[in-house]
Amino acid sequence: MPDLYGTTLRSYRKLRTAAVSILLCLVFASGCKTSDDAAAAATQLTTTASTLTSYYSALGTLLSDTDQLYSIQAVLNPDAPYDDPTKKYVTDTISEIQKREKLAAELTTMAQEFAKLSGSTAPTDASTAAGNLESAVAALKISSVSMSASNVNLMKDAVDVIVKAVQEHKERNVAVAIDKFTSTLDTWFQSEEPYCNTIGATYANVTKSLAARLIKQGQVDPSPFLSPVFSPYGLTPQLTDPNIKSKVLDVLAMQVDQKSAALAKGQETATTNMQKSLSEMTSRIHLVATGKLMAIRAEPITLAQVQNWISQVPQIASASATAAKSSTSTDAKNK
Amino acid sequence: MQSPLQELEATYFTLQSQIDALNEDCQTQAQSNMLSAQYVQARQNYWACVNKAFHDDDPQVVSLTNQIDAANQQLSNAVGELGDITQTLNYITNVVTLGTQLASNVITV
Repeated sequence: MPDLYGTTLRSYRKLRTAAVSILLCLVFASGCKTSDDAAAAATQLTTTASTLTSYYSALGTLLSDTDQLYSIQAVLNPDAPYDDPTKKYVTDTISEIQKREKLAAELTTMAQEFAKLSGSTAPTDASTAAGNLESAVAALKISSVSMSASNVNLMKDAVDVIVKAVQEHKERNVAVAIDKFTSTLDTWFQSEEPYCNTIGATYANVTKSLAARLIKQGQVDPSPFLSPVFSPYGLTPQLTDPNIKSKVLDVLAMQVDQKSAALAKGQETATTNMQKSLSEMTSRIHLVATGKLMAIRAEPITLAQVQNWISQVPQIASASATAAKSSTSTDAKNK
Repeated sequence: MQSPLQELEATYFTLQSQIDALNEDCQTQAQSNMLSAQYVQARQNYWACVNKAFHDDDPQVVSLTNQIDAANQQLSNAVGELGDITQTLNYITNVVTLGTQLASNVITV
């Protein structure tokens, strides 16, 4: 019996490759007002998508840390055991965030290839990159994220439109499709904002409650609180007086409350800024795709604020969690 | 009223931050066990709905979300007043039971 499915799949892949090639020529050469605009848009999209990748990676770090915090809590407080169903939910959430990280990474690669295309006639790597992006979108479709299923389908539709448009020689539709993809990605990200923010809020809440418990039990050395007094003289504080120690522990508990709120707020602000960056990028790509001038050459201004938060996460999250995350990523890559 | 996830988050966060204080108030092992079971269930309800969706126009979802909103307020007041632990545990059991019902309405694919 002929392998009809395999034949169809191969034809589809060939078509996809052809589609992307035409797309690249169309959008970033003849379809644009100027190739400078196209190159600039591709470079900006690369940075934006790369930041999105790091943003998801940072969320993954917070989740891995939360997983470890629950294990620690179970040891400290037998009344708060880390039950298997919760552990599975946390693990599933980590997996979903990793899928989003992969999608953003594939988009970064594709945008990089687009940027290289200015003046190039061999878009093979870009075709491969687009294929990988398609796979990343497909992986999201089979996930259990029903909330965003319609948006995922829209993104897949955008890829399908590219293929179909080439088949029917509707070149204009190809340009519209990539515009639609980034637009849908933006909408999808907006719809998931509450879910992203709850990750940071949970991390802040759990660390706060555990820190408060341990401070109350005297399981922290309050001596460093006095460091500003002694550091000019190269002396190391050693807090031994029980009365002073008690007062300092109260101050530390208040600081934990304040810092916990700042942690949650910091992540929420990063999410808002990431969304603004995606929206800005979407608007710029729309200009390029519709043949209008794209005057702005700088990256979206809110991107730097997201990058600033991302850079803080490894300092916030424990080294062990970061190492665990890194190990998980390595395992995933090896598979 | 907040979203279903926000309501489940509020219940879980209250118990997460108050479990030690509430445990100190428990006078019997049975009360401690009940608190522990409700905490675990509240956390499970919350995580079961992270990255998931509800049919926002489902009357049952709307009703349960409203009930949890009121129950969360009741729990917050009880915890703030450090009142009778038996009554507080009743409030906790009530809001967590509602949360379990709400979580069972989450859309799964």
